[in-house]
Amino acid sequence: MSTLRAGLGWIPTVIESARQTAVLLSRRRLFWIAAGVVALLGVCAHVVGGRAAERIDGRSMFCLLTWWLHSTVLLPWTTLFLGVQAVHGRIEDRTFQFLFLRPVGRIPLLLGNWLAVVLAAALAGGAGVVALFAGVATRPERWLPEGLEWRLLAIFLEVSFLAALAYSAVAVFFGAYFRRPLVWSAFFVVGLQMLTANLPVSAGLRRLTITDPLRRLVLDRVEPNQQLARGLWPAERAFNPDMIGAPVQDLVLFTLVCLGLGMWAYSRTEYDSRSRE
Amino acid sequence: MSGQAVAGAISDPHAQPAALLEFGHVTKWYGTIAALMDVSFQVGTEVVGLIGKNGVGKSSLMKLAVGLLRPSQGRILVGGHEAGSRRARAMVGFCPEVDRLYEDLTGLTFVAWMLRYHGWSRREARQRSAEVLDELGLGANMHRPIREYSKGMRQRVRLGQALAHRPRFLLLDEPMTGLDPVARAELTRAIRQLPAQGVGVLVSSHVLHELEAVVDRVVLVHQGCLVADGRVAELRDLLPAQPHRVRVAGPRLRELAGQLVTWSQVQSVTVGEHALEVWLTGAPGFYESLTELGASWPGGLQEIRALDDDLASVFGYLVG
Repeated sequence: MSTLRAGLGWIPTVIESARQTAVLLSRRRLFWIAAGVVALLGVCAHVVGGRAAERIDGRSMFCLLTWWLHSTVLLPWTTLFLGVQAVHGRIEDRTFQFLFLRPVGRIPLLLGNWLAVVLAAALAGGAGVVALFAGVATRPERWLPEGLEWRLLAIFLEVSFLAALAYSAVAVFFGAYFRRPLVWSAFFVVGLQMLTANLPVSAGLRRLTITDPLRRLVLDRVEPNQQLARGLWPAERAFNPDMIGAPVQDLVLFTLVCLGLGMWAYSRTEYDSRSRE
Repeated sequence: MSGQAVAGAISDPHAQPAALLEFGHVTKWYGTIAALMDVSFQVGTEVVGLIGKNGVGKSSLMKLAVGLLRPSQGRILVGGHEAGSRRARAMVGFCPEVDRLYEDLTGLTFVAWMLRYHGWSRREARQRSAEVLDELGLGANMHRPIREYSKGMRQRVRLGQALAHRPRFLLLDEPMTGLDPVARAELTRAIRQLPAQGVGVLVSSHVLHELEAVVDRVVLVHQGCLVADGRVAELRDLLPAQPHRVRVAGPRLRELAGQLVTWSQVQSVTVGEHALEVWLTGAPGFYESLTELGASWPGGLQEIRALDDDLASVFGYLVG
């Protein structure tokens, strides 16, 4: 005769939730589409490297392509979509019922979801950065006279990872709180971030975005000339390093706030309530 | 499907509190709409049927019991613990009506994943899940992806996740849905065995005659209120305004009808081609008198059968 078990502990629940979510995400079609897009990015970078004006060096080409194509479009959308699927997908299809019946807290379940999305997004994002770098690196004539700058790969891998952390937190919050999280995601990426990109550096609204601290991080790490700086930050005509501030700290703070709000919503919302229908 | 799926469900049946599930003046509001109003009842180690029309609050009541919803007022205890608390959730198994599962997983993996959260190791969880699903009749199909399952197989997986951790209290929302007649009969038998193992069960179903075969008593919910709680026969006796109907078959029907209408318990008699339909003002003493009459009646009485003492009739009388 066996006895009832009290349930998994807090950290094992986070790990188990992350494992299960990662397995479920790996079986989504989007994951394979992302793999195809990564391959396409590499080809695209290689083709652009052969056709762009000669004055654009490999450094600028890689930074501009990676920033504008990867870090501000593909990575945010992929991460937000994966994150919303991981959290809101289960609310929408009501499989969350099976999870909420278990003797474990909702907060570790959500943190597990977040970790899995971070992992998936970081992998996809990192692969994209590597593909872009490989595409541009196969044009050695663009890297003369200094040669290939591996440091840029490391910088954008770091940016990609931090972006995955932050966008996953936003996705988890939106997925837990809103009934239409993808609409809010679109508002966040297209509306809020694009709007704030055109505001002065001092605008407080910039703290509510991910693009802004990420861009400052890129500028800080890459140490661009004025031309590349203009390319990365077109709205700011006279970039100077004093504008950079503490981007990592801002990103971490933003991530923690989003995660906190997500945990608050997830732990107290009655997702099965008829008033939500 | 066998009763062993839930065997060994408890560690010590004698340690059970009297009530495994206790609703105390529970009210649940959805905005300005009251889903449940001041509902109080208890379920011990027995099988209790939850009946009511669609949308009267049955599912809300079940979700409150498992902690998916919180009461607006009142208190719900599971095994003495607040519903929704970790201890209460560890004790409860719930088979929801909603037919959504992780489609890409196999039935075995799905149940094992859920079991992991109860603190079972991966190996134990897979072993136990395979055992439960096998007993529920899923057999080799447990290794196929859920998206390929029939409705009955999906129902078995839902039952499996509710039973695998050996709960002390089981809530089954429409558990017969999708099952074939043989599986229904086996599930009915398995549910009936649960109280003997110290497990309490609250089961809802639209198939009242099947429910009647399983339950010890019923709780009837109508428009958010608990309108009846008791054994079917007791509830029927509490409806004096609804005359009992009894079918009596035998020879010389007209003569028999003439005798019966003189009895004080009989309101009226309808003579049919093969039997009488007798309407009673009250049942006490009627069956005894009829049995005596049958013993002396030339050719004997071939059939005496109550027509409206079943759950469906009681349900119909109570909620129209």
